[in-house]
Amino acid sequence: MSHFREAQNQAHPGKTNTLTLGIICVLILILTMQIWLLTAALNTALEGNEGITWPAFAASVLLFLSGAALLRYLPDPLRRARRQSRSKQTL
Amino acid sequence: MKAAPLPEKSAADVDFPIERVEAEHVSRREFAKFLCLVSGGMAVGSGWVAVKEKLFPPFRFQGEFLVCKTSDVPVGGTHPFTVAGSKIPFILIHLNDGSWRAYEQKCTHLSCAVYYQPDNGKIECPCHHGYFDAHNGNVLQGPPPRPLPHLDVVVRGGEIYVSEPAHETLS
Repeated sequence: MSHFREAQNQAHPGKTNTLTLGIICVLILILTMQIWLLTAALNTALEGNEGITWPAFAASVLLFLSGAALLRYLPDPLRRARRQSRSKQTL
Repeated sequence: MKAAPLPEKSAADVDFPIERVEAEHVSRREFAKFLCLVSGGMAVGSGWVAVKEKLFPPFRFQGEFLVCKTSDVPVGGTHPFTVAGSKIPFILIHLNDGSWRAYEQKCTHLSCAVYYQPDNGKIECPCHHGYFDAHNGNVLQGPPPRPLPHLDVVVRGGEIYVSEPAHETLS
């Protein structure tokens, strides 16, 4: 079995830290764009221009889905330890 | 030598095995998930705006609605009214140049009641000092994001009628 991942983790111990912060920054950016979309759509709708509401909704859903997909890459350093303890309990 | 036995856990520790500090701790993983949850809320909010505009369009009335007689409102005066079938408050304004205007009396910021100032020809919202131009309803100053919604005014035979603006009337 390859020890590539273990060696990689030893070479860059702060990797998961950087990755987590990066994902949080992107999520905050996505949230900011969604807030802007919501206020812009609400304002234009109240002005009587309803044409923008559906595209704004579609864009907001796309942003949410991209944010949810990003969660898959959120590092979980304790996952391996949890799995090991669970497998020990079952044995 | 025999080792001393470990002290047994107290009943409280058995019943509540999670420490308060541990329970209140919010990890960055949980924070990221929370951000994603709020993002989903924003998407739902955008959907609500779109659906509301489609299924529950704002009230529009057909034809003309009699407000009052011209003699009822002096120059610089105002006359509040509502259209039959609606609870939206409107305000009829007799401007200093003799023309008439009708605006919704709710500020576009937070729906406070606005009032006309005949001295300077402005409509003021007293809540946050927003000002609108009495001639066209445009925002002059303050936090209101949009002009005041207006109605068309027609003076005929000494009586004042209002109708929906031509470009906003439903076909």
